[in-house]
Amino acid sequence: MQTQTFELNMGPQHPATHGVLRVVLELDGEIVVKATPVIGYLHRGIEKICENRTYVQSIPFTDRMDYLSGMNNNLAICQTIEKLMALEIPERAEYIRVITAELNRIASHMITIGVLALDLGGWTGMVYCFRDRERILDLFNSLCGARMTFNYIRVGGVGWDLPEGWLDECRRFLKDLPEMLKTYEDLISGNEILQMRLKGVAPLSAERAIAMSASGAVLRASGVDYDVRKANPYGIYDRFDFEVPLGTSGDNWDRFYLRYLEIIQSARIIEQALEQIPEGPVMAKVPKMIKPPVGEVYHHVENPRGDLGFYLVSDGSPKPYRWHARRPAMINLQLLDELSRGTFIADVVATLGTLDPVLGEVDC
Amino acid sequence: MNTNQDILLTIAATLRSFLDPLLGNPDVVDVTMYGVALAAILGIIFGNAVILVWAERKVAGYMQSRPGPNRVGPIGLLQTVADTIKLITKEDIRPKGVDRWVWFLAPVVLFVPTLAAYAVFPFSEGLIAVDLNIGLFYFLAVASTVTIPFLMAGWSSNNKYSLIGGMRSVAQMVSYEIPLVFSLIGVVMLVGSLKMSSIVEAQSGIWFIFLQPVAFLIYVIAATAETNRTPFDLVEGESEIVAGPMTEYSGMKWSLFFLAEYANLFAVSAIATTVFLGGWQPPPMPAVMRDAVAFIPGWIWFAAKTYFMIFLFMWFRWTFPRFRVDQLMSFGWKVLLPLALANILVTGVGIYAYRIAIGG
Amino acid sequence: MLGKSLLTGMAVTLRELFRKNVTEEYPEVQPELGDRFRGGRLDLVVSKCIACGLCMNNCPNGSIKLKTVKDENNKRQLDSYIHNTGLCLFCNLCVEVCPTKCLVWSKEFAYAGYSRDALVFDCMALDRERIHREEQSQTTEEKG
Repeated sequence: MQTQTFELNMGPQHPATHGVLRVVLELDGEIVVKATPVIGYLHRGIEKICENRTYVQSIPFTDRMDYLSGMNNNLAICQTIEKLMALEIPERAEYIRVITAELNRIASHMITIGVLALDLGGWTGMVYCFRDRERILDLFNSLCGARMTFNYIRVGGVGWDLPEGWLDECRRFLKDLPEMLKTYEDLISGNEILQMRLKGVAPLSAERAIAMSASGAVLRASGVDYDVRKANPYGIYDRFDFEVPLGTSGDNWDRFYLRYLEIIQSARIIEQALEQIPEGPVMAKVPKMIKPPVGEVYHHVENPRGDLGFYLVSDGSPKPYRWHARRPAMINLQLLDELSRGTFIADVVATLGTLDPVLGEVDC
Repeated sequence: MNTNQDILLTIAATLRSFLDPLLGNPDVVDVTMYGVALAAILGIIFGNAVILVWAERKVAGYMQSRPGPNRVGPIGLLQTVADTIKLITKEDIRPKGVDRWVWFLAPVVLFVPTLAAYAVFPFSEGLIAVDLNIGLFYFLAVASTVTIPFLMAGWSSNNKYSLIGGMRSVAQMVSYEIPLVFSLIGVVMLVGSLKMSSIVEAQSGIWFIFLQPVAFLIYVIAATAETNRTPFDLVEGESEIVAGPMTEYSGMKWSLFFLAEYANLFAVSAIATTVFLGGWQPPPMPAVMRDAVAFIPGWIWFAAKTYFMIFLFMWFRWTFPRFRVDQLMSFGWKVLLPLALANILVTGVGIYAYRIAIGG
Repeated sequence: MLGKSLLTGMAVTLRELFRKNVTEEYPEVQPELGDRFRGGRLDLVVSKCIACGLCMNNCPNGSIKLKTVKDENNKRQLDSYIHNTGLCLFCNLCVEVCPTKCLVWSKEFAYAGYSRDALVFDCMALDRERIHREEQSQTTEEKG
């Protein structure tokens, strides 16, 4: 019988494409022959915008790149600028940075888990994850007055000191976290249907993951032990005791479950940071107008989505000469075609969910 | 017979005695009474859809720690009414390139078998529109035609998502029809009749769910697939194929799909009640209590059990993720079908052994 | 065993069915935003403003437009102060940089309009209105 493949446009408006991604699928019945992600629907030219802003002014724009983990983006750009200026940060500010960044990682992974459950048809799991994430967003709101676009971590420290009772509230959240995780385990990750859907689908070998420059949970799911927090500790991450969970086969299930395990590790880091946090100032002496010395710098941090790097070139003026971001979601998304070939339409959705791109960052 | 006459039966009898002298010919009276029954069934379907849409949203809400609809009317009861008004006033969009007549007919045709299936539901003793001697067979035959309108909608919409959804619906419904039928055969073997009222009456001692637990399980799973609900909602498959065959429909046409979905949900639940849960009969209990609850009419028991089944289906929907299409097929053919066949075998052997025991 | 995890999942949703829900019923219950909340328009206290223009220069997205005039003593005076919330990133840089702390957030969050013009606020006019309102309430208090 003569058959023919056909093209299916998934997106840019589709219930499961995490924003405005368009995937052009070439299908043989239900089986994917080729999946081409078409990006750029959310392109705002943030790199070019930031080259026309002062260093401090570029921080709020990083909030809008990976909008699910604004704190980590803030942290990355601020540490890059500090590296360029060779600035020392007060102890307390460093601890606050770690606490907020890890809380944000938990919030971001909660979304990943919940949205993957939604993509697989489990509505309720998504709602629970969003409900629990709300606790973190409330913490952030009382800290800096914003729930997602923080602009909290600044060059030289953090924008505000912790409000009264914030640390207790944070401890209370950590106390409730195991119960939340238990709920996810029971409802989402423990579910046999979900495991059937994810296990053994779209495996990624360690060699291919490295060759495609994947990072974050996508890379570690393939068994490559690379976490910037361990491999190249930034800030005060070398002071904390935590593990880097690794997967074995790099299939969808590993990529999904790794995020679940990373929540536990992030909670461990926060617990240690809450114990050790000292009193003191939260802002170093920073000149009003930042004019870093001429030079270039690259700095990277472990963002919930992977290895987020910033490359800045300073020509001594108040504005950067070059402002470039290495966006992990963008690079991880390039794996979609390779991973989707030979799987079903339903698996494309799941693979997209485990690659976990945030289109704000992909398109930048 | 029953000492305290059912109120609905009394109304029917009164109506008949009122019509008798008016129309004269008993055949004409019969036809009129069928008309009344049809109107009653339509009332049940529409009334149920209103309640079920609201109930589903409430159940979903409470399961997701939110209140669900609570603005229109007391505890949101009028929400469905408001939604219906919205749907009626919406523009009826007909996309370019649809196969006009097939596209137009699909939602209407979908509604017909659903409506026809209601004719054989024994709501209470004597309260059944047509007590066919092949009632169960009739239901299965009529309900299995539901596949066709989905394929019609998917094919005629001129949309690839719809086409995939239509194809999925054929694959899914045909494969799950078989375990569904086979799961009911065990009960039919026990009763020795396909007549709905005799199936219910045969359960006056013990409900068939206790004699045929495996068949009940298979029935519930297959029925979930038949009604396209999670974890078998591949036909709609929201996150994959947008809305499947319904993607291009809007306004009242779309709401007919919606109505049929809930009518189907009620239908499979009513069959589960009839075949496995003792139909209109109260639950098994000591004789003293049986007298105490004798005043409750049969249709209340029937409705209570049916709504329990519906709640079960809703519970599934708001808990489970969705199967993938190949897993769905292999589960249906490799697990459910052998299990259903084994159940028939065991039932047959059991009946034979029982007969020997009685005879010897 | 197949099915056990499905039952655990069903237990989770059933338990939730009987728990109290977490929804804030919005128009009746207003959300607690806290005193650090950044949102709404900028409330400018004109009497304290020295028209230095730092807020305009520090805005990353050009959402603040102010014009100054020189008065007879060659001192800068505010001529107009427009806050375009449609462009605003709510990054707080203007509030932080203000030397006289004459800018605060109005902490509104529901001011959607039918056109983009509804997002543009003339902060000087709003300040005059506020002063007018305060005066009025003062006079009514005095009368009362």
